[in-house]
Amino acid sequence: MTLAPPAPPPVAPRRRVWGAVLGVAIIAAVIAYFAFSGIGNALVYYVTPSELLARGTAAVGETVRLGGLVKVGSVSGPGTDLTFALTDGTHEITVHSSVAPASSFREGIGAVVEGQLGADGVFQASQVIVKHDENYVAPTKGAIPSQVIDPGG
Amino acid sequence: MRTRLLGIGGVLAVIGAAFFGLFVVPADLNQGDAQRIMYVHVASAWIAYMSFGVTALAGIAYLWLRDLRLDAVALAGAEVGVLFTAFTIWGGMMWGRPVWGVYWQWEDPRLTTTALLLALYLGYLLLRRLSEDPARRATRAAIVGLIAAVDIPIVHFSVIWWRGLHQGPTIGSPDKLLHPSAPLQFVAALLLMLGAFTLVWGYLMIRRYQLARIEWQIEEHGRVGRISAARRASLAAHTAPAGTSQAAPVQESTP
Repeated sequence: MTLAPPAPPPVAPRRRVWGAVLGVAIIAAVIAYFAFSGIGNALVYYVTPSELLARGTAAVGETVRLGGLVKVGSVSGPGTDLTFALTDGTHEITVHSSVAPASSFREGIGAVVEGQLGADGVFQASQVIVKHDENYVAPTKGAIPSQVIDPGG
Repeated sequence: MRTRLLGIGGVLAVIGAAFFGLFVVPADLNQGDAQRIMYVHVASAWIAYMSFGVTALAGIAYLWLRDLRLDAVALAGAEVGVLFTAFTIWGGMMWGRPVWGVYWQWEDPRLTTTALLLALYLGYLLLRRLSEDPARRATRAAIVGLIAAVDIPIVHFSVIWWRGLHQGPTIGSPDKLLHPSAPLQFVAALLLMLGAFTLVWGYLMIRRYQLARIEWQIEEHGRVGRISAARRASLAAHTAPAGTSQAAPVQESTP
């Protein structure tokens, strides 16, 4: 069995190899720049309460995603009229949502909410997403689903 | 026959690992049964990394040695990798809906870079169809396969480099390799599934490679009638490394 002898490529193979290596290097450099420089921070998936509050009144009314931990003891109301505080350990913002989050929502867990900060300082969320961490726990006798240590103190 | 045994063994191993993950190991205390998706989700993601890695390495080896059989390996890696990537995304969505509350978030770095990974290798497979000439196709594919592979580490480190919704590595980072953030039985279930998927991956790789050899026969002869003879020749080539199929491309790279 023979394969059709291929026509000689228009560019010398070695030059192509170096071209490919150069292409890969350029792409890798661009990615590394985005990953490790400050520009990457402009593309963040969510802002923290401290970052949002630092914007002052400019943040009011702007649609953003806000992420943090659900402060222990702050959750009140039914799922469709939910009020809780999101904290990053330094600052916290009270969030109100009329859309019920997933059943995995609980105090102490990470959450990302999308919506606007009101003039009254309450963040009106149109979506509450539960951000699960990378820790897994096997059930043992007497263990209860985690109420992660209150980061807000 | 040995390949068929590998396939059967792979399917049985997946069934065994699934049984272990579903019925032997308890569900995660916080996530409940949805957590069990992790075993197939993470295992298939790692297999996809490996498969695309094989495509990149086979591409480099092709550019160096100009042996079209390496191009067939690269093709197999990309196609099987696309399968496992799609499965990873699907499993992740099935997990995301109950735990996150959403199937998908475009702005999450891990999700977006994984979608990009799928798109890159679908593009790779489309590109292969654009060229009629085997050597030119192999060269182009090798270069694109190499560029696309840049996304593999980006996908993996996206959860460390950027803020996002997807959780960080439980075991797949240097500091957690020996101290995973999961009980040992969960890690065992994951590794069992990884082993089972590796068998299936190996089977699919071999079959896709064989299929590529048959496709060449059709490309060359253009006739269906020659297939069985061609297939015999292609199968014989596995045991006889110094076949004529190797000689032609090697000559081409000789200065």
